[in-house]
Amino acid sequence: MEKDNELESRIEEVLKVEKENKIPRMTKRDYIIAAVITVIALLGIIGGFFL
Amino acid sequence: MSRKHDVNKEIENEVYCGTLPVLPKERKYGFIDALLVLSGYCIATWSYTQGSYLATLVGFKQLLIGAFLAAIFMLMVYQLPVIMSVRYGIDIWIWLRSVFGPKGNKIVTIIIIVVNFPWYAVCCELFADSMENLLGLFGIQLFNGAHLILSLSCVVVGTIIALRGVGTITWTTRILVPLLLLVGIAVVVVGFTSVPMDVIWNYQPELAGDADKTVNYVLNIEANFAFVITLVGGMAEVPRLCKSEKSGYYAGVLGQGAAGSFFVVVGAVMAIAMQYVTGKMVDDPTLMMATLSAPILGLSSLLLVAFANIGTQAVGSYIYGVMLKSTFKKVSYKTLVLVLGLYVALLCVWGKITEYFGSFLTIGACVYAPLAALLFVDFFAVRKQKIDLKSAFELEGYNAYQYTKGFNIVGIICLALGFGFTLLVYDPIKGIIHNKILFMLTPTLASFLFTGVLYYLLCKIPDIRRYVRRDTYAGPDKRPFDRAKVPPRQNLLMLPLIWLYCKITVVPYKLKVDKYNMEGIKPPFLVYGSHNSFMDFYVTPLALKPYRANYISELEGFEAFGEWIYRQIGCLGTRKFINDQHLIKNIIKVIKRGDVMVIYPEARYANVGTNSHLTPSVAKLAKLLKVPVVTINMQGNYLQQPIWNLKERKGARLHADLKCVVTQDEIEKLSVDEILSRISKELTYDEYKYQLDNKIVIDDAWRAEGLHYPLYRCRKCGKDFAMTSSGSKITCKYCGDSYEMDELGQLHSSSGEIIHIPDWYEWQRGFVHEEVREGKYRLDIPVRVWALPNAVNFVDCGEGRLVHDNNGFSLEFDNYRTEKHETLKFPAKSMVSLHTEYDYRGKYGPCVTLSTYDDTFFIYPTDESRDVFNPTKIQFATEYLGGLYT
Repeated sequence: MEKDNELESRIEEVLKVEKENKIPRMTKRDYIIAAVITVIALLGIIGGFFL
Repeated sequence: MSRKHDVNKEIENEVYCGTLPVLPKERKYGFIDALLVLSGYCIATWSYTQGSYLATLVGFKQLLIGAFLAAIFMLMVYQLPVIMSVRYGIDIWIWLRSVFGPKGNKIVTIIIIVVNFPWYAVCCELFADSMENLLGLFGIQLFNGAHLILSLSCVVVGTIIALRGVGTITWTTRILVPLLLLVGIAVVVVGFTSVPMDVIWNYQPELAGDADKTVNYVLNIEANFAFVITLVGGMAEVPRLCKSEKSGYYAGVLGQGAAGSFFVVVGAVMAIAMQYVTGKMVDDPTLMMATLSAPILGLSSLLLVAFANIGTQAVGSYIYGVMLKSTFKKVSYKTLVLVLGLYVALLCVWGKITEYFGSFLTIGACVYAPLAALLFVDFFAVRKQKIDLKSAFELEGYNAYQYTKGFNIVGIICLALGFGFTLLVYDPIKGIIHNKILFMLTPTLASFLFTGVLYYLLCKIPDIRRYVRRDTYAGPDKRPFDRAKVPPRQNLLMLPLIWLYCKITVVPYKLKVDKYNMEGIKPPFLVYGSHNSFMDFYVTPLALKPYRANYISELEGFEAFGEWIYRQIGCLGTRKFINDQHLIKNIIKVIKRGDVMVIYPEARYANVGTNSHLTPSVAKLAKLLKVPVVTINMQGNYLQQPIWNLKERKGARLHADLKCVVTQDEIEKLSVDEILSRISKELTYDEYKYQLDNKIVIDDAWRAEGLHYPLYRCRKCGKDFAMTSSGSKITCKYCGDSYEMDELGQLHSSSGEIIHIPDWYEWQRGFVHEEVREGKYRLDIPVRVWALPNAVNFVDCGEGRLVHDNNGFSLEFDNYRTEKHETLKFPAKSMVSLHTEYDYRGKYGPCVTLSTYDDTFFIYPTDESRDVFNPTKIQFATEYLGGLYT
């Protein structure tokens, strides 16, 4: 029972934190950078076929 | 207190704490911390095995591309969902409960362990190889079977360490990671100094005669995809402790993609150097150092590598033991670790894990790739980054993820099909390529894409979406439906399918269509249809054949069947009884592009098979469009499935009259009143008269069940909401007055009186009009409110209060859009009628709906108001107050 209460209160706190964006989110810029790195890696892999 | 008890208690605590959401104040790691921890996690002696395996496939340059770029590419994609772990402080296994269901998740956990744990047999093999090789260098020959004994001893010692629990494992890890780093550095120094640089840089493997360089390159990429994707099961353990999503994500990518890959390359360098010097490719760093530098260095490294392998085995047993313990709470940790030890021991006895290293990698990836794809698509596209944590943690009263007895059938089927798909591309055991085109994508990526697309498309099917998204309340899609979006023309490719489906549906009811004045009538034209039941949507396309058409549909149809399919069949979405200017614009567009526009102007199903009054706007629209007006009056559709009881009556017979009532020449000349008069005349109907005239026998025993919804007032005692129905009877629960519905749709009283159902219905309307006129009409009740903002989901707005009086409706509730408790007003004159349901979708009970431009509110009675909530009476009052009836 004590563990359930602990879990429930943690969930409530995590949801509150999520709603208030307290944990810094991945921004649009971060996603774009990730996409660019992914494309570069993919181009590198394709380039490897010609070595 | 015994030592054994201590360990069990420690593990139980570890299991408990290991699954709890981590709070922001408990987060320990920034990017650098997380990167270091994850780098340590990704370094193990099997990296050398991977490196030497790659060196047998491709040259050094291609090997570098595979080890770094392929690894980073796959990690960048599949690790993205770790942002969820950072956001909620949970492991992916918590999220996966929503994908597989809690019980399904347990099965997947076991499968993951079965396919992943052979890594630890690789460790034991490496340990035995090291010992054997080094003793061989000192001239000590071992007896047959010594290799097995050595590898088993690694299992035994590793298992004993794991059994000692958390403290011992913590110390083991602290020593293990620096040791591995030391060995790695030594290997790099020895490898690069003992052979010329260009030997490594220009290295090309000696391929067998039939080997294909392209295939080998793909296998190299595949091996790296498979190598990094094996981390999926444990990828969130560290990120959930990170302080930002970006740090968790990039630490995961670079921990494996840079540090882990570096050690793979080190293994390759070592293997190439050994082949250059000895002519034999090895993956044992001990042997390499002994051969390429000095035996004493080999002896030192032996101790390091030996402990590293034992330590890795111990840590693996511990991690997976804890994972199993969280799944199988009743089995002791000790038993679980022993089972894991036995599994590795059996693999050692088999003795071919190194030989089948590539196969084992790909088989693992056959499971991991679909798993990673499901997680990715579920997180970003299906659940859209929202989860019901309470259901995921199975808190009492939260059962959104219980699905089918604890299994999410959709997720499990996708996983199985993804696994099977990989095997259709490539047989990892025999090394046979079944499909060369897909193989070029690599089996892992092909499976990832296949599973992801499959799951995404399945979740687009409304019934499946509702099954998978039982947690919509946790994060509903609140974006309003785009009413301005131009509807596509009915898809020509789908048209034959639509006609076929409609034909199959109407066949049992022997539909007959008669056409009048339709000679020379070609699109564009406007069709006004009677509206009795869903059958209207099957009859109309057949009557309009060979022309395609667009239809107006209430938004809930889009939600029920899916927006994509509704668009393809040409539907224009709107909300009922609002002034939707976008709808008018879209109707004009449909006509301008030369199509048929079908409108059901009553905008609601007939309650008792009779038509509603039409408003002048119906004729005004025809004048605006300046095209011929056709009516379709359908008979039998109501009889087949009346709104008050949606069970189908097999005895019904369908008939439709398609008639041009206003020609192109007449549309400019006739007045609005004349046009309205013609349309109204053709759309007048009485289904019970049609039944009686044509002697259509409907003899279902339950034929009157539900009739008390439209006939709610007792004819004898005059009480409202007095009627109840069962079988073929409708009875007053107060005075007992009872009527039997015969097989031709007429009601018979016990005294022999015959009642025509529409007469009873209209008789009730008179009383409501009187109540309104006298100012006595008022409804003020608690209600349950659900909003429908779009074609995706309903939003639960909780309990509210509905007031209906001479001023119109007012709805007081928690508005999810404004996040305020507020009252919406719907003035009486703004609505000529009301959408009503008697048993919404056959399971939600009676309701009425009120619409704004961005929401349709479905309003249900609560237990308290159920007895006084009757949609028919509310509709009568609305129509009178709105001016439809006088």
